[in-house]
Amino acid sequence: MGLTGFLTVSAALFTLGMVIFISRKNAIAILMGVELLLNAAALNFVAFARFTPSQASQLDGQIFAVFIVLLAAAEAVVALAIALSVYKEFHQVRADKLVSLKG
Amino acid sequence: MMGIPELFFYFFTIMVIGIGCIVAFSKNLLRSAFALFFVLFGVAGFYVLLGADFLAIVQIMVYAGGVNVLLIFGTMLTSDISTPKTSSLSFQGTLTVIAGVTLFVLLAIIINSGNWPTYVPGEMMPTTKDLGKLLLKEYVLPFEVVSFLLLAAIISAVVLVKKGD
Repeated sequence: MGLTGFLTVSAALFTLGMVIFISRKNAIAILMGVELLLNAAALNFVAFARFTPSQASQLDGQIFAVFIVLLAAAEAVVALAIALSVYKEFHQVRADKLVSLKG
Repeated sequence: MMGIPELFFYFFTIMVIGIGCIVAFSKNLLRSAFALFFVLFGVAGFYVLLGADFLAIVQIMVYAGGVNVLLIFGTMLTSDISTPKTSSLSFQGTLTVIAGVTLFVLLAIIINSGNWPTYVPGEMMPTTKDLGKLLLKEYVLPFEVVSFLLLAAIISAVVLVKKGD
């Protein structure tokens, strides 16, 4: 379990997120895929911070991962609010059926 | 002879990838949402193995405790979960899986053929104090921007949900 092990796991997580993001119909399932993509990116940052730390400060990668977690929380809140209001308007959240911009 | 960290590494790997496949391919959306909880928990386990203790707790509290509960509520509020009549995969499902496997194989080849200049990692130290100092010294501007962004997210969520009434 060196750097390459963590990077490979992160690549697998990224691939899973991408597959969900492309193949799912439900908007909330797509949001789950986005969360997996963000997690893969954060895992890469932390792995590099552990195995190839910068000389100035060892924790730069972890700081970046903290910001990724916060941004993901904000993104999930707004996207779910959009999904709820779309559901109120159209009574479904299937991304392939939502083709009209003006309700 | 495998040490305890290696054992945990392989355990978390199987957990994240295996349950991640449930998230991707389960027909029941609620089952996907609950499986996502275990994937996020496994990623927190990787953070512990990488010596990021504060980040692991943040991951469990914010992701598994906050975002995932929001996703479960969103699933239950917006879809008919009791009778998943049609598959939630779109018709490009198999094509996407083929593309995903190809992408993963490419990435794995690139990662494992590269010569990363790694250092031998030192002793694992508690990171919370240093992270706090960094957040309030070097990274104080991004910190404030993120806090403003969270405020904007709260207000926009309330406005978006109330607008339909």
